[in-house]
Amino acid sequence: MIDERSLKASAWRSIDARKDWLIDVAKSVLANPEPGFLEKKTAELISKKLKELEVSHDTEIAVTGIKGYIDGGGYGPTVAIIGELDSLRVSGHIFADVKTDAAHACGHHCQVAMMLGVIVGLQTQGVMEQLGGRVAVMALPAEEFIDVEYRYGLHNKGEIEFMSGKQEFLRLGAFDDVDMAMMTHTNLVREGKFTIGGTSNGHVVKFVRFVGKAAHAGGAPHIGVNALQASMVALNALNAQRETLRNEDIIRLHGILTLGGVSVSSVPAEVKYEGRVRGATAEAIDDANEKMDRCLRAGALAVGGQVEIVTLPGYMPLLNNIAMAGLFIENSSQLVGRTNVKENPAHLNRGGSTDMGDLSQVMPVIHPYTGAASGTGHGIDYIIEDYIQAVINPAKAMAATVIDLLSEDARKARGIIKEFSPNLSIESYIAMQRARFTNEVYTGV
Amino acid sequence: MRLDEIKDIVCAEIDSKADHLVSLAKDILHTPETGFREFRTAERVAQEFVGMGIKFEQGIGLTGLKGVLNAKDASGPNVAVMGELDSLKVLGHPYADSDTSAAHACGHHCQIAMMMGVGIGLQAEGIMDALCGRVTLMAVPAEEYIEVEYRDSLRREGKIEFLGGKPEFVRAGHFDDVDISMMTHTSSSPEVGKISFGGTNNGLVAKSIKFSGTASHAGGAPHLGVNALNAAMIAMSAIHAQRETYRDQDTIRIHPIITRGGVAVSSVPADVRMETYVRGASIQAFMSASEKVDRALRAGAMAVGGAVTITTLPGYLPIHSSEPMLDLYSKNAVSLVGTGNLHRLSHRTGSTDMGDISQLMPAIHPYVEAASGNGHGIDYVVEDYDLGVLTGAKAMAMTVIDLLHSGGIVGKKISEQHKAALTKSDYLSLLRGMVKEETYTK
Repeated sequence: MIDERSLKASAWRSIDARKDWLIDVAKSVLANPEPGFLEKKTAELISKKLKELEVSHDTEIAVTGIKGYIDGGGYGPTVAIIGELDSLRVSGHIFADVKTDAAHACGHHCQVAMMLGVIVGLQTQGVMEQLGGRVAVMALPAEEFIDVEYRYGLHNKGEIEFMSGKQEFLRLGAFDDVDMAMMTHTNLVREGKFTIGGTSNGHVVKFVRFVGKAAHAGGAPHIGVNALQASMVALNALNAQRETLRNEDIIRLHGILTLGGVSVSSVPAEVKYEGRVRGATAEAIDDANEKMDRCLRAGALAVGGQVEIVTLPGYMPLLNNIAMAGLFIENSSQLVGRTNVKENPAHLNRGGSTDMGDLSQVMPVIHPYTGAASGTGHGIDYIIEDYIQAVINPAKAMAATVIDLLSEDARKARGIIKEFSPNLSIESYIAMQRARFTNEVYTGV
Repeated sequence: MRLDEIKDIVCAEIDSKADHLVSLAKDILHTPETGFREFRTAERVAQEFVGMGIKFEQGIGLTGLKGVLNAKDASGPNVAVMGELDSLKVLGHPYADSDTSAAHACGHHCQIAMMMGVGIGLQAEGIMDALCGRVTLMAVPAEEYIEVEYRDSLRREGKIEFLGGKPEFVRAGHFDDVDISMMTHTSSSPEVGKISFGGTNNGLVAKSIKFSGTASHAGGAPHLGVNALNAAMIAMSAIHAQRETYRDQDTIRIHPIITRGGVAVSSVPADVRMETYVRGASIQAFMSASEKVDRALRAGAMAVGGAVTITTLPGYLPIHSSEPMLDLYSKNAVSLVGTGNLHRLSHRTGSTDMGDISQLMPAIHPYVEAASGNGHGIDYVVEDYDLGVLTGAKAMAMTVIDLLHSGGIVGKKISEQHKAALTKSDYLSLLRGMVKEETYTK
């Protein structure tokens, strides 16, 4: 009989032994923030660290993604440990890149370090040998669904099809040999040391271009068609619809203007809007998306201009696997005490979205949170305060959960796989997401 | 009789009836009635015609009246002198009717008295024997283009076709035998002088708009409703967003009101009504702006997934005064108020159905600066009834005399040499072509 407790204990000792090395990785990534599909330096760093750990891996999957394996002593299921490579862009964040505004205002820099920590733990002499199956370590690009225009350009050039890392990994077959997956996201300290459970919003993404007609804004505004006014009318109209959105649908309509005109003395003829329609269910998203489209068209109609509305498949709601979550809760409780591990009800929706939701539609996953930051998520003040809780503890909790899943010839992992009935197959997932791409040009007359 | 002798007699006659004329104006001031509802005012005018022994017709365009003074030799031109019967509606005006808010905040009550003053003056002993032609005194309803929904209902019932009094008079043929027209309006810019004349005005189309949504509990189930008030708000924002596209010289004015904004705060508004004008200096300019307004209205309905019914109705045409008429009038005005008190106007951005008449025949529409306050505001009050009634009447009567003296030679010449912008049938086709009703739904 294998003593799981002692396997975990020795894995944790190894992680503790490389504590500084792991935290340094997180801080190096923090210092070099790169948004999705642009994570070149981050990917190089992770590849270098994987080589140091002698983990064979492929690179440049979905532009910047990495996937490697560590094999167990016997044949069995594959459990993926995921870390996200990308940063956000937040102007004025204390660790923002001054040139690009890229900033780790969502703590992803800790995720790749956690992933390395799991490897360090599992590579401990005698651990993997006792496990039936393998661990896929995956550093994925582009979880933050931003830079829509840039990514849509990559899409049009054929470099990517979908605009997030996990979506692309799914499309490319990189999850075909994976049976279950986990990752841990950072969270605010005040939310508790570990939180698990609940769901997230799904969304669709809008890439919108209002087209007007340039003219001298002082000399001949009557000859122009003002695309900025079209967008203002559209966004006012969008705000007027908010009362029609049901609370339980947790609809979020939000966006940014990425081009608002090029010179103040010329009537803006091209205005670009990147928007997001989030909601708790596919039906609710469809309904809100239809309202968004109506408003965008109305803006174009009012000024007699044109609007091009590209709708891109976004993320799907997250479903945490209850059995996997149970294992994670036990392991994290060992680390921080049961009272410091919060379990959210399945329906609790944080309002945000993640492509881990997409993965959860096709395989069992967990996406717990570790409370280590201060500030506001995606804000200028989101800073990791407690690197032990941000990197070391979640690495230990995940390593221990892998041990639980794959020990005894992967008895628990096999049970979870057997019980799991996916909402979608990978194939049907891809077909469904492809069908959500639409491109419409509306001319207002 | 010499021309100046005739004018002196006529002016003296008007002065001799000063109290009568001013109290006529004040009577009307105290019984304000809005367009196509001027029944008491019309009755008051009928009494005057009876008292003056002038034969008249009434019920023209629902409430209008017309009396004719024939010269001994009636073969000369027919000059119409007009007064407008209707009031505005202004909440809180000191002379507002407490039930209806009707108020003479535009001084029309003086116009009727001026018109009667012209009649009284010309009725002086021997005057009409010395002139050649006719003078038609017209009390015309509904110059203020308001209560669009009510008037549109009259239109749909077939009681009127157009929403202004003078277009209705034209349609019914009452201008067919008129050669030259004039009327005098009050104004409130005494700083520019006592009499203002000339200039141009905006034309307009009017819109009666209905946004249709779906009622639902505003607290309990707003997601099942379609908010017609939000459609209207979006439409108004969209209208405003296009103001930068209007050329200054087109003097576009768009100024909607909401006449129904919902019926219960706890129910999602499903029926919201707006009225607006779209005014501009030329027919082309206001018709182009009207298209932009329609786009904005459709956009409001589109955004909320509702419907909008837009009824566009012809309003008034821009005014172009006759230069030879202005020339005659201004000389008479100078003799009454002095050169320094005469002011030549430029473009004004309000509108009047006298514009329509000016497209058909030589016409003038001068102003007597007899009021204080803000036109159409709560403080527009006629202060100087001597100027607002008597001087205004005298200047018109003298101009009529110029036109009809010496066998009506001056009037004939002005009438014959005038190039009308539109014939009556072109005018009616133009107005009818502006009528448009569309329902836009997603």
